[in-house]
Amino acid sequence: MLFCRRRDNGAHDIRKGVVIMELIYGLVTGVLFGFLMQKAHVIRYDKQVGAMRLIDFTIFKFMLSAIIVGMVGIYLMRDLGIVSLDVKSTSLGANVIGGLIFGVGWALAGYCPGTAAGALGEGRWDAFIVMIGMLVGAALYAEVYPALRSSVLIWGNWGKITLDGILGLNHWVVIVALSFIYLGLFYLFEKKNV
Amino acid sequence: MNSLMKKSWSPYLAGAPAGVVLCLSVLIAGKYFGASTTYARSAGYLEKAVASEHVEKSSYFIHTKLKVDWQMLFVVGVVLGAFISSRMSRDFAAVAVPPMWERRFGANKTSRLILAFLGGIIALFGARMAGG
Repeated sequence: MLFCRRRDNGAHDIRKGVVIMELIYGLVTGVLFGFLMQKAHVIRYDKQVGAMRLIDFTIFKFMLSAIIVGMVGIYLMRDLGIVSLDVKSTSLGANVIGGLIFGVGWALAGYCPGTAAGALGEGRWDAFIVMIGMLVGAALYAEVYPALRSSVLIWGNWGKITLDGILGLNHWVVIVALSFIYLGLFYLFEKKNV
Repeated sequence: MNSLMKKSWSPYLAGAPAGVVLCLSVLIAGKYFGASTTYARSAGYLEKAVASEHVEKSSYFIHTKLKVDWQMLFVVGVVLGAFISSRMSRDFAAVAVPPMWERRFGANKTSRLILAFLGGIIALFGARMAGG
């Protein structure tokens, strides 16, 4: 910063302003999301483990409702050219093995990275211990990463594929079909009272 | 105001607005939701305080650049939002042993916290491997 010439200061300040705005957006978005998650109780241990035990489908109801709205909203905006997607690469080894490991951890902890934060917010402080464990898990992963990078992480690398892409369908067909499937699930959940 | 103070909302009626919040976030800030990267970065910052050279040379922490970013503030926001919501509906409770756990394993805090800690390690490890 000492070597910023006067001419550059303006651009530097604009960049700083953008970063600060981004941080504020993050905070506000998190507050809204945390608020909604707490209201729906999806940050509760009982709800998450209940979902995994297939005896309480609150999590699914919340998630799939958000997904239906999200799918429609994001793709609408994408088609209008005002946002872009952020597709992650599909790597079967990483996704499947990582997913299975995550599932074990999630079941033991009863919270995931986001819901642990929310649970802490509503006083359930076992979530704080979970979060400490998560920091340790991240540090551990960093140690193992170099070895995984040339093995598991590249097994079955299918690149940035999408469901509509591999099915060869228009994305709206997939969106409408999935929405109907999820709505059907909602009907089932309510009928079975889970 | 009354509905904001209700103890719980239908997951459908809370989930749909959550989808709207996501769309607004993408539209206004260009950000999709996530949380696990924040734990990776936080671990990196903490580790840097005691083993800075190791972190600087770590291919993982080079790959997952250490920065205080949108997502970190998002996670902080989630804590705050849940706090506000639970206080408004008197749903806040300083509890360490969830009811479901207590019914099955008893009220002993130590065993719950040990499993919580282990679960956290495994969960984040798996999450990072899967790609967040």
